[in-house]
Amino acid sequence: MTGTIGRRTLLTSAVLGTSATLVGATAMGSLAPETAFAARAQLPEPGQPDPNFAEGRVVSRDGSVVMASGSDGRLHRIQLTGGTSVWKLRPTTVDQVLVGDGLYARGVLMPGGLLAAESVWVNIVNLKVHITAIGKNVLYLDHNGQKVVGHVVPGTSAAVYNGTAAISDLSMLKVGKHAQVIGAWRPDTNEVDLATIYAAA
Amino acid sequence: MAGVNGEVSWFCCGNSWGPCGSAGTGACGTCHSGKFQHAWPNTSDACYSITRPDRCGVTAMSRRTCGFRHSTTNLCNGARVVTSIADCGPQTDLFCGERACCGGTCASNRIIDLTPAAFSAIASLNAGLIPCSVNVG
Repeated sequence: MTGTIGRRTLLTSAVLGTSATLVGATAMGSLAPETAFAARAQLPEPGQPDPNFAEGRVVSRDGSVVMASGSDGRLHRIQLTGGTSVWKLRPTTVDQVLVGDGLYARGVLMPGGLLAAESVWVNIVNLKVHITAIGKNVLYLDHNGQKVVGHVVPGTSAAVYNGTAAISDLSMLKVGKHAQVIGAWRPDTNEVDLATIYAAA
Repeated sequence: MAGVNGEVSWFCCGNSWGPCGSAGTGACGTCHSGKFQHAWPNTSDACYSITRPDRCGVTAMSRRTCGFRHSTTNLCNGARVVTSIADCGPQTDLFCGERACCGGTCASNRIIDLTPAAFSAIASLNAGLIPCSVNVG
């Protein structure tokens, strides 16, 4: 927990402009999201909104501060720092958070309502789908009756067949079968870029 | 309920962006991606007739209704979150026998889905599917 508290303190300090530097973050260990999830006290009651979490559509960006309009009507102000881990189809950099993107963000809510982001997942979707057709570098999917086009991204898209390690070979995917897709939505379309496909072998 | 090991994933609800735009507020009418909530496969007879965990040999999924609390522990890192039921799911029988692993730790069959807020409290959203233990919260 020391690492988590330290990392949070660092993020807070970075947002507040105190003396901590992000050089120090890497000295404390990985900045990958997984490192931030060691057991921590649960803040919200079950069933309640998590103040340290934001969901919404990016409506503006002013430097490192992103404004996101939440589907619950809230407007989130999200501070990105050099210590923020960003996923957009793959791990990427904070400059890839763009107006029009959808996002989920987890971090520390600061006094004044600014969310200092530890992790941001941009356009991420997690879809339970039925594979209706397979084309060259594309999967045609049905998600709760909605047609979704899934684009295979060479070098990125991978399949996990029944708990095995992710591999780039998608040839065992079958039309008519169910699968789960982690991908990145292409804003304002019914298309996603495929990151990981979970399927039976 | 004794603890049950299985797979946990996440789902969006509350009509947010992208493919979640028509997700709705779930069987309980309260579901939102930003809340600490989950979907449970045995919230009613109608729900159970869809999810059918018994077809995968999972018989310990007690009948629980909207608002009931469960704790979910990530078997990869020990992180735990307590959430309340807001929807019916996952559809366990679609993925019978499926296994999720991290390192040498594995668990089979989908037993619970968390909202993005809850899942991201115990794992990275891009992990998608992880082994877990579920207990009464």
